[in-house]
Amino acid sequence: MAERPEYVIRVKGLVNRFGKQVVHDHLDLDVRRDEVLALVGGSGAGKSVLLRSILGLHRPNAGRIEVLGHRIRYEEPGPFKKWGVLFQGGALISGLTVQENVELPIALHSKVPLATRRELAVLKLFMVGLDLTAASKYPNELSGGMRKRASLARALALDPKILFLDEPTAGLDPIAATDFDQLVSYLHANLDLTIVMITHDVDTLFSVCERVAVLVNRSVIVDTTENIVKNDDPWIQEYFGDPRAVRARRAMPGPEPGGVGELESS
Amino acid sequence: MNQFLTVENNQGTLEVSLRNNWVFENIPALSAELEAVDWEAANEVRFKCGGLQEFDLSGAWLLYDKSLDIEDIGGKADFDDFQAGHLKFLEHIIDSAAVNEYIPGFFDKQKTHYWRSGVEKIGKNTIEVFESVGYISRAILNGVKRPSRLLIGETIRQVHATGAAAIPIVMVVCFLMGVVLAYQSARQLEQFGANIFMVDLVANSIFRELGVLLAAIMVAGRSGSAFAAALGTMKLNEEVDALRVMGLNPNQILILPRILGLVIALPLLTIFANIAGLAGGAFIGATVLDINWLMFTERLAFTISPNDVLVGISKAPVFAMLIAVTGTLRGMQVQGSAEELGRLTTVAVVQSIFLIIVADSIFSVVYARIGF
Repeated sequence: MAERPEYVIRVKGLVNRFGKQVVHDHLDLDVRRDEVLALVGGSGAGKSVLLRSILGLHRPNAGRIEVLGHRIRYEEPGPFKKWGVLFQGGALISGLTVQENVELPIALHSKVPLATRRELAVLKLFMVGLDLTAASKYPNELSGGMRKRASLARALALDPKILFLDEPTAGLDPIAATDFDQLVSYLHANLDLTIVMITHDVDTLFSVCERVAVLVNRSVIVDTTENIVKNDDPWIQEYFGDPRAVRARRAMPGPEPGGVGELESS
Repeated sequence: MNQFLTVENNQGTLEVSLRNNWVFENIPALSAELEAVDWEAANEVRFKCGGLQEFDLSGAWLLYDKSLDIEDIGGKADFDDFQAGHLKFLEHIIDSAAVNEYIPGFFDKQKTHYWRSGVEKIGKNTIEVFESVGYISRAILNGVKRPSRLLIGETIRQVHATGAAAIPIVMVVCFLMGVVLAYQSARQLEQFGANIFMVDLVANSIFRELGVLLAAIMVAGRSGSAFAAALGTMKLNEEVDALRVMGLNPNQILILPRILGLVIALPLLTIFANIAGLAGGAFIGATVLDINWLMFTERLAFTISPNDVLVGISKAPVFAMLIAVTGTLRGMQVQGSAEELGRLTTVAVVQSIFLIIVADSIFSVVYARIGF
C-alpha cells in the first residue's frame, strides 16, 4: 500500500469577511482520512462559506487550504478527480438525462471506452439505489429524493476519495432521509471514503457521523459525537439540549449500515 | 511488457497476476491490457491479486465484468489473495439491482415521426395562442371593470423599460437606414437628374414601412426576449405558482402590464424612429447630394400626407401585441430546465419577428386595397 497521509483536508488560519462582518477568524480544521465529519452551526455561521472555500468556489481573505496535499486556489481546478460534491439542490445538469449526468464527469476526465463508461454510470446508479427507468429520465422528472441520489451517483462517478455533502437530507421526508443516511453509511463502510457533510439533521448527525465540527464564534470546535455534547459552549449546549437532538442522541449507536435492498424501499 | 497484469498458462489454468494501481485513472490502459489477453486459451482463470497496490470500484468493475465474460464463454474465474471487499460489494449491488430488467432500446435513440410531430406542433401552437388570447382578454376585461387591477405603476415601468430605454438604439439604427436609403435612391435617380425625388423615396418608405418595422424588430429582440426570459425564470423559481396560491392572477400581474406597456411604447417609439430615419436622409441630402434642409422640408411637406404617417403608426400597436403575446406566452411555457428557458426565449424572438413581417405584408395588401 502506498503511504497515505493521516489528514486529507487541512485548513489553516482561514479568514473570511463580508464587509465588516467577520465569518471566520483564523479558523483551523483538519479532516482525518476515512472519517465522516459533520459541519454544523447556526445560520450565518459560515458553514457554506467554509465548504465553498475548501472547494475553491470562494476566495478567502486569508488562510491556506490543502486537500489531499493539493493547495486550493480560488477558481483554479482542484483535485477534481479525487473529490465528489453533492450540492444542496442536486445541481444536476437539467438538459441531460440522469444517465448522461453520471457519465459526464467520466467522459470529461478520461478516455474510458464508451461501453465501460455506460456500465460504470449504471453501476453508480445501482449503487445509490436507482434503476434504469430513472436513468433515462431528465432531472425535472424526478422526485427530490431521487434527484439527490442521482446527484450522489454523479459525485461518486470518478471513485473519489472525499465526498462533500451539502445538507444531504434537507427537503426529504423522514423515511427518505433515513434511507439516505443509511445509504451514506453503507457507502462509507464499503468504499474508502472520507465524507464531509453540512447538516442540520440531528438524526443524520448521530447516526452517520463520527466527528462533529461546530462553527461558533467565528471559529470551530471539533470533537466526536459523544463528547461534543459535553462541551460547555452556550450555543452547543442549546443546540444539543434541544429535545430533537436529545431524542436523536438516545437513538445512538446508529443502525447497521443497510444493504441496497433495504435502500430501495423509498 | 504489460504494466498491470501478466498471464501465465499453467496446465490448462490461466494465472493472471495483477499489479500496480487498478483505479479509475488507469481504465483506458487496463481495458486495453484485458482486451489483449486470449481468454479462450484455457478453461480456468485465476486472478492473483496479491500484487495489487490500489484498487477502487472502477477497477473492481473491470475485473468483475471480465470474470462474467469468462463465465459466459464457459470458463471459470477465481480470485486469489483478495483483501478488499470491493468485489463483494459489487456482487451485492448487482444482485440487489437484478430486479431491474433490461430495458430494450435503453441506449438507442428514440425514433421521431417528423410529419406527425409537425402537425401536432401546429395544432398545439394554435390552441396555445387561442388560450392565451382568451386569458389576456379576460384580464383586460377585469381591468376595465376594476381599473385598480390594471397596475398602472407597473405598466408605466414597462413603457419605460421597453420604450424609453430603447430610444437611443432604435434612433441610431433608423438614422443609418435613412442614410442607406438616401444613398441607394440617389445613385439611381442621379441618372435622370432627379436627385430631389430621393426625399419622396426616403420619406415614404420610412413613414409607411421601415420606421415601424425596424422599431418593432429591435423591440422584439430587446423586449420579446426579456419578457420570455423574465417570466420563464419566474416560472422556474415557482414565483408564478406562488402568485397563484396567494390568489393573484399571474396573467393580470405579469402579462397585462407588459402587453399594455408595449402597446403604448411601440407607437411612441415609431415616432422617434421616423424622425431619425428622416434625419438620416436629410443628412445625406445636405452633405452629399446638394439638397439643403429647406429643399428637403419643402419637398417633404409636398410628398407626405398625414395618412402616410398614420399608416406606419397604426401598425405599431398590432406589432406590439404580437411581440408581447409571443414573448409572455413562451415565457409562461417554460418548464423544468434552464435549457428549456433558453430554447423558448429564442423561439419567442424568432416567432415574433416572423409574425411582425407576416402582419406587415397583410397590412400592405389591405391598405393598398382600401387606398389608405
